[in-house]
Amino acid sequence: MADATPLDTTTEVVTPENIAFEYQLAGPFRRLPAYALDVALYTGVLVLLVFFGLLVFSATLSGTLVSMWVFVALIIWFVFGWFYGALCETYFNGRTIGKWACGLRVISVDGRPLSGMQATIRNLLRVSDIAPYAALPQAESEIAPVLMIPTAIIGLLAVIFTRRMQRLGDLAAGTMVVVDEKSWRLPVARVDDARVPALAAYIPGDYRVTQSMARTLAAYAERRAYLTPPRRREVARHLTTPLIDRFEFRPDIDPDLLMYALYYQTFLAADNQEPGEIGALAGFSPLRKDMARASLVAAPPAEMQPRGTARAAAVVPSMEPTDRAVASADQPPAPETPDQGETL
Amino acid sequence: MNVATLVEKRRTQWTELERLCDGFVKPEDAARFGALYRAACADLALANSYQLPPGTVTYLHRLVGRAHSRLYRSERFDPQSWFNVIFIDAPRQIFSDPCVRIAAVLFFGLFSLSAFLAYNEERFPTYAEDMVGAAQLEQMETNFQQGLDGNFSHYIVMAGFYIKHNTGIGLRCFAFGILLIPCLFILCDNAVKLGASFGYMAREGVQGGDTFCIFVTAHGPFELTAIALSAGAGLRLGMGLFRTEGMTRLDSLRINALRAVPIMVAAAIMFFLAAFTEGFISPSPLVYPLKAAWAIGSSGVLMFYFVVLGFPRGEPT
Repeated sequence: MADATPLDTTTEVVTPENIAFEYQLAGPFRRLPAYALDVALYTGVLVLLVFFGLLVFSATLSGTLVSMWVFVALIIWFVFGWFYGALCETYFNGRTIGKWACGLRVISVDGRPLSGMQATIRNLLRVSDIAPYAALPQAESEIAPVLMIPTAIIGLLAVIFTRRMQRLGDLAAGTMVVVDEKSWRLPVARVDDARVPALAAYIPGDYRVTQSMARTLAAYAERRAYLTPPRRREVARHLTTPLIDRFEFRPDIDPDLLMYALYYQTFLAADNQEPGEIGALAGFSPLRKDMARASLVAAPPAEMQPRGTARAAAVVPSMEPTDRAVASADQPPAPETPDQGETL
Repeated sequence: MNVATLVEKRRTQWTELERLCDGFVKPEDAARFGALYRAACADLALANSYQLPPGTVTYLHRLVGRAHSRLYRSERFDPQSWFNVIFIDAPRQIFSDPCVRIAAVLFFGLFSLSAFLAYNEERFPTYAEDMVGAAQLEQMETNFQQGLDGNFSHYIVMAGFYIKHNTGIGLRCFAFGILLIPCLFILCDNAVKLGASFGYMAREGVQGGDTFCIFVTAHGPFELTAIALSAGAGLRLGMGLFRTEGMTRLDSLRINALRAVPIMVAAAIMFFLAAFTEGFISPSPLVYPLKAAWAIGSSGVLMFYFVVLGFPRGEPT
């Protein structure tokens, strides 16, 4: 899939199980909050240390104790300032606390977890990545780091120009930052419109859905909830016009309904499933050769249709796709509606 | 079987795997985790033939990714490997690395030149002031006028400060090495300023000059060598981008970074030793021969480290 979507920010990794899977790379705007969080965190810890030192001093008034404390605080400041990221990433398997909060993880470019050496390199080199500094003149960089404002232009450029969005530290260490968060989306949309299985039953048995067609159908079924019914028909028509010819359906079939029926046929239809109850539409045939016959059969009364949709909604009232299906049914998508011709 | 039932059937296992990815895994769950992970991998591999919807495939990619990073953990710092880095890799790399030599020549050359210029008051009367700044020179003079004395609480605070400050400079110098020019700038800047201070304080008639010389004797060898070494490590890193020796630029950068880190580790250790010396021995009222002996001893240790440990030989046993 990676070769078909070269513009995606994904990278492929082959595991020892010889499975290729994809990681989504993290860009600068996902990484910046994580870094800011980390900085805020260890600054907070340092402030606490200073505060605690003051408490110790006011409680004991012992000079030696305080100077020991200052020594410890300076060492902790040094270690946090330079090795916070390296230690966290080594011991938390590629995550600092900020990265954990933002759902990021550092891994080697070959997909393996990073080693302590790599974590050290990539975190030490952050100094050059956040360069150049917009330094206020005469500001002492060591005493007042706040006055040295890092612009991070170098790191940003490196992220933009490398394929795996690596900053210089990542390049030198051979690591990359990937998105590592859970996401469970309902994998298969339910079909609650009773007309869909009925229409699906008319799709010729020799029609095989190709892989790209299956992908398109699934994407369509996912997206259609966000589209208005006229827009759905407009989008679907490009695919269904040739299909209607091929299936020899009557030309006023709702394109959205046909796409949905194909989706149902591909992903949902069980081998031995009874077609659902479609009420007044029973006996309706979408086939072109039946058009003349269908006009002879008494057209369903206009009030039949709202009743049918009401029942469809009652089957699974809380499901969101149902509402959409109802919405599409409220519009004139049914094949027998006279103004259907305009939309085709 | 249709896709929806297939997904529903597999989904219980996926959720179980997802649950095992969080938190601690009990030993009896570990085997189960492996089985579930392999099953998820197989599902992903067959995703195309099953014609799974794209949303599910994306989910599977993420699930396998999480389980993969759960299964294969990062390599921790192993004490044995750090022993090897410090006592085998670092000295050999330092001994054989031209970048270290360039940095050392540059640093000590500029340092000596600057010291000479600052010392030579008749020819270059304003050199030291131009380089270091008159206010700072004055500050140094008054600092060293009182002579050397102190107590434990003063020493330990200063040791902490030197660790943070000086090692920080060394690490910055190293990290900027990948951009080369800032690294060279930090190196030369330090060489010139330190040299100017030394030369100025060594002039006849500067107050506190003798105290200054006594003060810097003890920690000088460690600290000056450490600055040169961290710049050498930085240069090694930066040169990887330019001298690729037939590799791709990125591979070359990566390999040179791995070669540079031992040098930087050695430099950091020297900064620590220098900081403790500077904190405890240099400002103490010890007699000069003891401090000089410490300086000679530390130089000897460095020589042993660079030459004896660093001398090229066959593969480490």
